Amino acid sequence: MAAFLKKIALLTAVALALAASSIEATEPVAIIVNRANQVDKLTEGEVKKIYTNNTLAWPDGVPIIIYDLSINDQSRAIFSEKILGKAPDLVAEEWAHLKITNQAKNPPQIMKTPTLIIRRVMREKGAIGYVSIGLVQNNPDVKVISTLR
Amino acid sequence: MAMDRGTRASGLFKGAFRAFSFLFLMSSAPALAEDPLERFRIDLEELRKENEGLQGRIDALEAEDEEARHGLGLLSNLVEVSGYADVEYTFTDQEGEGSGFRVHNLSLFFTKDIQREWKLFTEVEFEDAPRIESEKAADTVKSSQGTIFIEQLYIEYHPKLSWDIRLGRFLTPAGVWSIYHYPPYVPTQTSPIIYKVIFPKVSDGIQFKGSFTLRDSSIDTHLYVANGSGNPGALDRNEGKGIGARVNADLLTGLSAGLSYFGERDNEGTLKMSYGAHVLCNGSALRLQAEYQIRSNETDAASGFDDSGWYAQAEYDIGKWTLAARYDWYDPSSESPDDLWTRATAAVNYRFAHNVVGKIEVNRNWFDGLPTEDYSQAILGVAVAIGDL
Repeated sequence: MAAFLKKIALLTAVALALAASSIEATEPVAIIVNRANQVDKLTEGEVKKIYTNNTLAWPDGVPIIIYDLSINDQSRAIFSEKILGKAPDLVAEEWAHLKITNQAKNPPQIMKTPTLIIRRVMREKGAIGYVSIGLVQNNPDVKVISTLR
Repeated sequence: MAMDRGTRASGLFKGAFRAFSFLFLMSSAPALAEDPLERFRIDLEELRKENEGLQGRIDALEAEDEEARHGLGLLSNLVEVSGYADVEYTFTDQEGEGSGFRVHNLSLFFTKDIQREWKLFTEVEFEDAPRIESEKAADTVKSSQGTIFIEQLYIEYHPKLSWDIRLGRFLTPAGVWSIYHYPPYVPTQTSPIIYKVIFPKVSDGIQFKGSFTLRDSSIDTHLYVANGSGNPGALDRNEGKGIGARVNADLLTGLSAGLSYFGERDNEGTLKMSYGAHVLCNGSALRLQAEYQIRSNETDAASGFDDSGWYAQAEYDIGKWTLAARYDWYDPSSESPDDLWTRATAAVNYRFAHNVVGKIEVNRNWFDGLPTEDYSQAILGVAVAIGDL
């Protein structure tokens, strides 16, 4: 009986842990820029223009530096589907084609972790990136200009 | 006797202790049944917090490591190498050709950021596994096969993201396929018929590439001056230079279109004026691409002729699979309007990974009024992209 109770307890714990992790995975994604950036808000269309190199500089002329997460990241999957309308691997393939032909004007720089993106955005005035919103909610050095749910 | 009393007292004490323990356990049995759950919950919560803390520390360490490597990368003296390779097996009923394996392409790209604003970009292409062997006692070639070709070699000056200047050999900017044609990223192994025919494949000269926004449209432009087709470097045997331009506009989301032009007088004195139009529709799963090109060929002695062609291609992605179809049409001379080369192509691609693609292609070629016999091909191939793309 005790062993049975123990198993039930373990299963409950695992289920709770999985539920907690899935809640984390679907946490909204915040699109962030440097605190000094004059832009306070961007539409999804404007973000798309930046991430497809149709906009290369901020309104004050500062060149845009684009940051992306690796293709397996859950936040990138949300960003890619919502903003670019494509799966991350297809977007990566298009960039690869542009880069191999040296036609990419301003390709995104791939960062391994959201922490790195936050650091770069904190440091570089022209930077734009996206991370899970929980990671930047209380960070005064970055500005959230759009949120994807 | 004293021993007996002591033993009895000890037994009594043990009995009382056992009874007390039993009663305690009985009374607290329901609480103990719930405790493991609560303990697991608390343990889990603590482990989760601990895990978050550790993850944060790992992230910070990785961030520092990445920063350090990024810093080193900016100062690196290494040349970045990327490229692609593809091998295939072709079945064909073409007269004079046999079915067999083909080590088709190995293209290596070498990129070197010389300074912040200067870059050297080269592409060396090895086609059909080249081999050159000289006579032992002389400089003459004993045997050779395949092609070694410097497809691109230019020095790029790029002070802004929105424009750059390229000096050297570059892919002639005309239409879509002339620039975007590398096997891992296009659905077919065969190129459209008009590719390399109406506009030259590469140009040696100077190119300005600029981008700007007009209303909501992003416009990309290429302007270039070059030796002309078939005139690499020191082999340019005429004073005239070719002049070309390409413009591409993103009209709507996923829809772009453009025009191309190239004019030159070749070594035989023929004035060649090439014009092209292209359209590209890039949806989430469906891509449509079409190009039309025409060239006028005018000589002083004869009246001249036009050659022209077009193709339309559709691609559809289903997960890791891509289905594609293309139709090609080419008229080699307006003087003989019944002479036509047409081709229908169907292809299936499977992405083993984003940089490894398996390809199956079937095409049928028809030659109306031309001396070549109709033929079919089936190509099975694998293409890979190499390097950190």
